[in-house]
This record gives sequence, C-alpha cells and structure tokens, in this order.
Amino acid sequence: MTDHERPTSVTGTPAPDRASAAGRWRLAQPWLTVLVRLGLTAVWLVAGGAKVGDLDHSGRVVHAYQLMPYDVAMAVGAVLPFVELGVGLLLLAGLATRLTAALSTAMLLAFVGGIIWAWSKGLTIDCGCFGGGGELAAGQSPSYLADLLRDAGFLAMSAFLLRWPRGWLAADNWLRGDPQLPTGAAVPPAGWADSDDDPHRTSRQENR
Amino acid sequence: MSKRSAGQAMAATLAAEKRRQRTFWASLIAVAVLLVAGIVGYGVYASNKVDEVNVPKGTAQGDDTGIPRGSGKVKVDVYVDFMCPACRQFEAEAKATLNKLVDEKKITLVTHPVAILDHASKGTEYSTRASAALGCAADGGKFVEYTDVLFARQPEELTPGLPNDTLAELGRGVGLGPDFTTCIESKRYRGWARHVTETASRRGLQSTPHVTVNDKKVESNSAAITAAVAASQ
Repeated sequence: MTDHERPTSVTGTPAPDRASAAGRWRLAQPWLTVLVRLGLTAVWLVAGGAKVGDLDHSGRVVHAYQLMPYDVAMAVGAVLPFVELGVGLLLLAGLATRLTAALSTAMLLAFVGGIIWAWSKGLTIDCGCFGGGGELAAGQSPSYLADLLRDAGFLAMSAFLLRWPRGWLAADNWLRGDPQLPTGAAVPPAGWADSDDDPHRTSRQENR
Repeated sequence: MSKRSAGQAMAATLAAEKRRQRTFWASLIAVAVLLVAGIVGYGVYASNKVDEVNVPKGTAQGDDTGIPRGSGKVKVDVYVDFMCPACRQFEAEAKATLNKLVDEKKITLVTHPVAILDHASKGTEYSTRASAALGCAADGGKFVEYTDVLFARQPEELTPGLPNDTLAELGRGVGLGPDFTTCIESKRYRGWARHVTETASRRGLQSTPHVTVNDKKVESNSAAITAAVAASQ
C-alpha cells in the first residue's frame, strides 16, 4: 500500500506512534536501509576497486576455481570488477535499489557457491574476494569458513535491502517524489517499512 | 462513494501509474549502467590480448616462454615471479641442487619469468618489468647472472619495486651494455612477459614458485625435484 492510496495521505501520513514497536520500526527502518545500503556500497566498491587494477590477475583467480576454461575465466575476471563497481555506484546513488539488491544477492550466492565448490573439491585457494587470491603458497591454509561467514553477512545485508529497499537519501526518492530526509513533520512515507511497492497489491487496492 | 473520494481514487491511480513508470526508468538506467560496466570490462580484456610478441634470444626449443640451461634428458621447468618471496626462498634452497643436476647433464633446466604479482607493486607492475628486463638480459647472454641479481635485490611485496633505472644499472653490473638499457626503455619484452604468464596459466600455474619435472608438477624444493628427476632417468 502506498501513501497515495491511504485516505490520510491527502493531509499527510499520520505520524508513527513512537511508543509502539511498529511505530519505532517505521521510524528506524529508513535509516537502517541507508546504513545497509552504504555498507554494501563500501563492500562492492572495495571488492571491485581491488581487482580493477590487474584484470589479468582477476581472471587468473577465477581460473583457479577450475570452474571454467581459461579464456572464459579471463573474460569473467575482466568483467567482474567493473560490474562490482557498477553495483557499488548504484547502491551509493540509491537508484533502482531493489533491482540492485537482487543482483547483489545473486552475485553473493554465486560467490558462496564458488567457495563451497572449492572447499568441497579440496582446492587450496584464496577466494580472491577482495583482490589477492589464487592458489596459496605451500604452508598457507585456505580460510573458507571465514570467507563464507563474511559472505553470509553480506548476503544478510543484501536480503535486507531486497526486503526494505526504500530509505532516506536515495535517487529512488527523487524519482518517485518522496522526501529525502525526515524534515519537520515529514515522516517515513507509508509503505516503506512494510516495503509495499508490490504492483499486485496496488491493483487489488484499485479494484476495491 | 462520494464524488470527492472518486476523484481521490482517480488521482491515486494516476499517481500509481506515474510511480510505475518511474520505477521502470530507474530499472532501465540501472541495467544500462551495469551493461556499460560489463562492456568496458570486456573491451579492456579484448583489447589487451597479446597478438604478436617479441621473443628474446635463446628460448627453449618448442617453447618460447622459457630460457633453457644444460642438455640433460629430463626437463625441469621452473616458473618464478621476481616479486614473490617464496620464489626467492626456493631459489636459495634449490639453486645448488639444480646447478649440480645441470652440470651432471641430467636435466635441462628451463626458467620461465612469469608476472602474476603485478597487483603487489603499487601500480608499477614490477613483476612484468622484471620479467621483461630478464628477456633483455637473455638477448645480452646474461640470463643466469641477471636472474641472480633480480633475486638478490628482490623488493618487498606491496612496494613499487625497483625503478627501471635501477633495473638498467643492475644490468650494467653484470656486464650488459647500452643495448640492455635501450631494451628496457623501449619495453621490448613486456608482451613476452605477458605471453609467458598466459602460457603458464594455461598449463595450470596458479602460484609461484611452480616446478614441473617432465611436465608433471612437483613440490618446489630440492628433495622433491631430485626424487622426481631420479624417477625419470
């Protein structure tokens, strides 16, 4: 349900009740979304930035997973850092946040799959998630568990954004005529906290 | 339904439609951004492919990515990166053994200067520069001597490494002439360095040092090499 469809939206959305849990959540959620968005922004910009300076190396790291032939791995390794930077920039801008969060989730799932594959196959590689990477020198042991736990954290952040993509300070707000910050009487627009941008619900609403 | 609420419903429908349109455009822009990013990456990859390569003098027969020494039957290939500390340790530990095997005419030792650690020299691509300089040294007949010097003067990882002037100066120290300096300055063998690295990666190299005995990977230490050579006699 969007604010325009609520009868109260003509005179302004009712202020959330600070005493209730639901009210507190409605006030906190847009800030949490900003926080998670910027956190993931940093993750992707750092991950992409660390690889973009040596694309050959990035390709060799992909090749080390032994999942694809050399030439394919080199192409994937060259494309990946740029896509990571693109995801980072979109998250920073807050443009098409839900779509970007979906891509972020998909990429992280692929990485997790890669690490599990490498682990199960007994490959001794560094995941290369933030540059570095490739096969480890003798005596070094891989840190698959730590890598997986870290990626699980990033996955949780991506899932949060997927569920609650709307927050303060985002290009999406500008595009959709929502406020950028809670100024004065302005409160988080209705629908943010329950993340109801679902067109199906809107149409149900219209059919009523 | 009153007139007023009917009007409201109409406005809400229009507003919802507008929002859907804007969501669509936002998605389109986002997809475009990602597509452009991907295309840029692929473009850089495609334009970076090595096509024609200058090959230094004295490369191994049938393998232009390594410089051979000795005439033994068993082929030992050693892949090193001059930025890699483990390669320096390997060189220190195994050098005497390898020299002895060469002198006894048991092995042909082929050294491949790969460049897999370009990201560890703060953007100066030291691994590639060192590998290319070694190609220049091979032209001047000082491959072995210059290899020793590069290991002796190995920079710390994650530093810019030795500047080209120093690489040239080290060459003069082992008796290389002005051609060597010109060769470094003209970046003559940078393409070769990349070619050596790419070929090694295709052969399964993932880290350095990487040692094969008759094309089979062995542990990079003198004991393992000696054993594998003995088994191949």
